[in-house]
Amino acid sequence: MKTLLADFHIHSLLSPCAEVEMTPHHLMLRAAAAGIGALALTDHNASANLPALIRLQEKYPVKVFPGMEVECKEEAHLVVLFDKMHQMAAWQQQVDKALSGRLNQPEKLGAQFVVDEKDNLVREEPRMLLGPLTLTAAEVVAAVNKLGGLCFAAHVDRPAYSLLMSLGFLPPELGLAAAEISRNSLAELQEQKLKARVGNLPYVTNSDAHWMQAFLDGPKNRITVRELTIKELRLALAGKEGRSWQAGVFIDN
Amino acid sequence: MKLDEIVQALQLTALVPATVPSVEVSGGYASDLLSNAMGQAAPGQIWVTMQGHPNVAAVASLLNLAGVIIAGGASVAPETAQKAQANGVALFTTRLPAYEVCGRLYALGVGKP
Repeated sequence: MKTLLADFHIHSLLSPCAEVEMTPHHLMLRAAAAGIGALALTDHNASANLPALIRLQEKYPVKVFPGMEVECKEEAHLVVLFDKMHQMAAWQQQVDKALSGRLNQPEKLGAQFVVDEKDNLVREEPRMLLGPLTLTAAEVVAAVNKLGGLCFAAHVDRPAYSLLMSLGFLPPELGLAAAEISRNSLAELQEQKLKARVGNLPYVTNSDAHWMQAFLDGPKNRITVRELTIKELRLALAGKEGRSWQAGVFIDN
Repeated sequence: MKLDEIVQALQLTALVPATVPSVEVSGGYASDLLSNAMGQAAPGQIWVTMQGHPNVAAVASLLNLAGVIIAGGASVAPETAQKAQANGVALFTTRLPAYEVCGRLYALGVGKP
């Protein structure tokens, strides 16, 4: 078993709302220096900066999970995680078909940059990545679970883009693995006021960083697993077979 | 105003039930955030929303609403109608935009002080 700090919700400069300092190389450099053992890159409805990050695993002792922050039809955010890039590629194909078809307006919404592992510009993403897919939350979770991935509802405590706020309560049959509590509401980890409404899902906490300092300062998880796989993450969330998942942990504690 | 009169006046499509009961509608509420509707809508009101998720039927049942109008031609999940049927919730759709539905309801006197 190993115990490590992990952050499963981070944006790169492909997300229009993220700062350009959020390059794959910068992220891995700072994650390694801060002792982060695993992270997931989760750009809005996109995964094009993941190949660079995956390659950088050879250089830095940080495990990368292919991830995405998906906006479902109900205008709420779901974080999806996979083991392998081929699973993400299959998921991205479904996402591409479900995008709005609008083009990004970089001056108004922010630019969307794809870069390589040396932070060189590869291209700008022309499609508008922000906005809801035509897939419902139920369709997203079912498709991701079928591909062997894992989904959690992002920042359920927040007034906007929260599946809990959109739907009033999280239906247990949805198939979510966890609910994320944002850094603004960490008291909820003890108070558990929303716990019944999220269907008693385990809580996770991540930085949801859009700039570097937010990544370093933001909440993480201390997880104990045998190896870094989706299967092991599920065991850790369930607290089974010696695995564990502690939310509300920061780099300095 | 009665529910069946509203359905007639706005030419709503009744998904559930086939025969709309003549129950009094005490007022109206509009929100697409179900958590907000749960906290703010009151029993006997008609709820205007663009959400077609099955939870809409659950919230309407929980609050004993007179009915739900899913506006703007928004799509309704098949489970939503099933859940409405099972929970005795009156569920309607219309192509009218939510703004217009609310305006027309208000003009009919629904929710006017």
